[in-house]
Amino acid sequence: MTHEEIIQKLYDDTLVGNAPEVRDLVERGLADGLEPEKMLYEALIPSLEEVGARFERGDFFVPEMLIAARAMQGALDILRPLLADTGAETIGTFVMGTVKGDVHDIGKNLVDIMLEGAGFTVHDLGVNVAPETFVEQVQEHRPEIVGFSAFLTTTMPMFKANINALEKAGIRDDVIVMVGGAPVTQEYADAVGADGYAADASTAVRLAKDLIARRRAAVPA
Amino acid sequence: VLINRLPRYDILSEEAVATLDKGWRRIVSELGIEFLHDDALDAFRRAGMAVEDTKVILDPDFVLEQVAKAPRAFDLQARNPARSVHIGGDHMVFSPVYGCPFVRDGLERRDATLADFRNLARLAQAFPQLDSVGGTICEPNDVPLDSRHLDMVFNLMTLSDKPFMGSVTSGPNAADTIAMAEIVFGRESIEQTPCVISLINVNSPLRYDDRMLAALLEYARANQPTIVTPFLLMGAMSPVSVPAALAQQLAEALAGIALVQLIRPGCPVVLGSFLSNTDMQSGSPSFGTPESAVGLLCTGQMARHFGLPWRSGGGLTASQAVDAQAAYEAMMTMLPTMLAGTNYVMHAAGWLESGLVSCFEKFIVDVEILRMLEHEFTPLEVTEETLAFSAHEEVGAGGHFLGAVHTLERFRECFYRPLLSSTANYERWRRDGGKDAAARASEIYRRTLEEYVEPEMDADLRAELKAYVDRRRKELGD
Repeated sequence: MTHEEIIQKLYDDTLVGNAPEVRDLVERGLADGLEPEKMLYEALIPSLEEVGARFERGDFFVPEMLIAARAMQGALDILRPLLADTGAETIGTFVMGTVKGDVHDIGKNLVDIMLEGAGFTVHDLGVNVAPETFVEQVQEHRPEIVGFSAFLTTTMPMFKANINALEKAGIRDDVIVMVGGAPVTQEYADAVGADGYAADASTAVRLAKDLIARRRAAVPA
Repeated sequence: VLINRLPRYDILSEEAVATLDKGWRRIVSELGIEFLHDDALDAFRRAGMAVEDTKVILDPDFVLEQVAKAPRAFDLQARNPARSVHIGGDHMVFSPVYGCPFVRDGLERRDATLADFRNLARLAQAFPQLDSVGGTICEPNDVPLDSRHLDMVFNLMTLSDKPFMGSVTSGPNAADTIAMAEIVFGRESIEQTPCVISLINVNSPLRYDDRMLAALLEYARANQPTIVTPFLLMGAMSPVSVPAALAQQLAEALAGIALVQLIRPGCPVVLGSFLSNTDMQSGSPSFGTPESAVGLLCTGQMARHFGLPWRSGGGLTASQAVDAQAAYEAMMTMLPTMLAGTNYVMHAAGWLESGLVSCFEKFIVDVEILRMLEHEFTPLEVTEETLAFSAHEEVGAGGHFLGAVHTLERFRECFYRPLLSSTANYERWRRDGGKDAAARASEIYRRTLEEYVEPEMDADLRAELKAYVDRRRKELGD
């Protein structure tokens, strides 16, 4: 297989979510001297962009999005350490969780799928996550974005508590805060001082990319 | 209360019932159910069930032994004894929408407030189609969180004299609900005949969370019924097959019902069903779907199989507005609700936008649907008299019946009289403002609120209730 053939097949297999084949191709590419960046930027990311476009059009359903994202994450598991060595800029890292007192996670899981599908590295802390845990995990993973999810009006006030905890730990300005969940509105997000809110998973991904791009543009590298 | 004496629409064969029965047995005995509360785990452990961390592996026969202790039917007393209800058998109790953070009023969608909560409670009190005033009829976002349950229960108990639903957001909130019920009814009375029914959702798949369990335990100890409801949006919380969802629903609900019986044998409990599907294209929940209608019919048949009163149904829809979709999806759920003889119907009026919105106009649309179905499900009297031979004799061939004696004796009540529907001809309809059903519903709900009369309550009792709320609010720091 030529390098071009590997890139093309990597694109095709990621698109249909063939995870074992994607892993094999990445390893074969590496053995063959293909650069990790080339596989990421010329196959994996374009493929996932196409997945996202198909989902937006309604051609792809949620499970198709999910398996493509899994294939992408399988490839990234191999490539991530190599990419780190070269200093290549990744799409972004997300720390995510359902707030304390709330055990609902279907919506959050859907956002995870879409984020991973877009090439983000997602650290999902699960449900009923305490403010201290969010602080610890943000300190550990240094994500571009931390996401708080709430399904109940009674747990939405934890957004503010979490943001306060980040402030107290002196890391509020190091991280973008996004919030979401069925009862959450833009007004509520603004009121608690979040940086971003989206009404659904695919909008959340677009907004996440946007917010990161704006921040990177604002901070001189 | 509607007593549905028409035949049940049972669509499962005996083999299918047996297969579903095997299905739930396998889930509880091979996979187990998680209970995130020590008291629940202790109860199962003491009863001899294997407990691994938070997971309980259940013997299906033990589950059924416990389930058999639950009454097949029970009474729920109301502040006004004339409004007490019977839950089970052929009885159908209708309760309004529950749990919505937003309200819709006309074209406006906004955060729900206590004023909205009070108005929706007034509507539920005003329409005889609703047998219960409900519970969290909308979330009153403008009052402090820690004491919000006190405001809700106080308003439900004072604005209505129908049975109400209790707070389930924590054990202490459930205890407050019971304490307030004791003030009005007396402890002895509610131990005898319960007065508050509460919704316990399973955090499906296969898990009960600690808050819901704390509330369930509190109510069970006080002999107050809970509606134990697996929360199943197929595709997300259960497999994408209706039989799989049904088996899971039984596994989860029967395990919870067994727990109630372990805490207090004979405590009334309702097998709950909230079963619809995820739109696999977008990931959003869907309502009023054919799959949910099938699931509802099967749930009824299985509940009767286990001899349990059960809950399902409602005017469910995913629609964002009071439009054609809202009405046909609501009817798509309400018709099987009736065919299946659902004992407790939540969300029977006011549900919109997949349950995110309590809507005033949709409330009226749903009341119209309930009124029509009530009529449709009244057994037909076929007698010599209803054959009306005398009217034929009087009119003869080629005449008309508008003035026949038989007609004159009956014309005002012989047919269903709509509350909301218009039969006006086009010219008249246009002269009257050309209003569609949503616009007419808006007028009806406003008029109903104007005409609403608060049911009387003994002044001392009311003061005592208020004093409890004030004291607890202070203790809770609000």
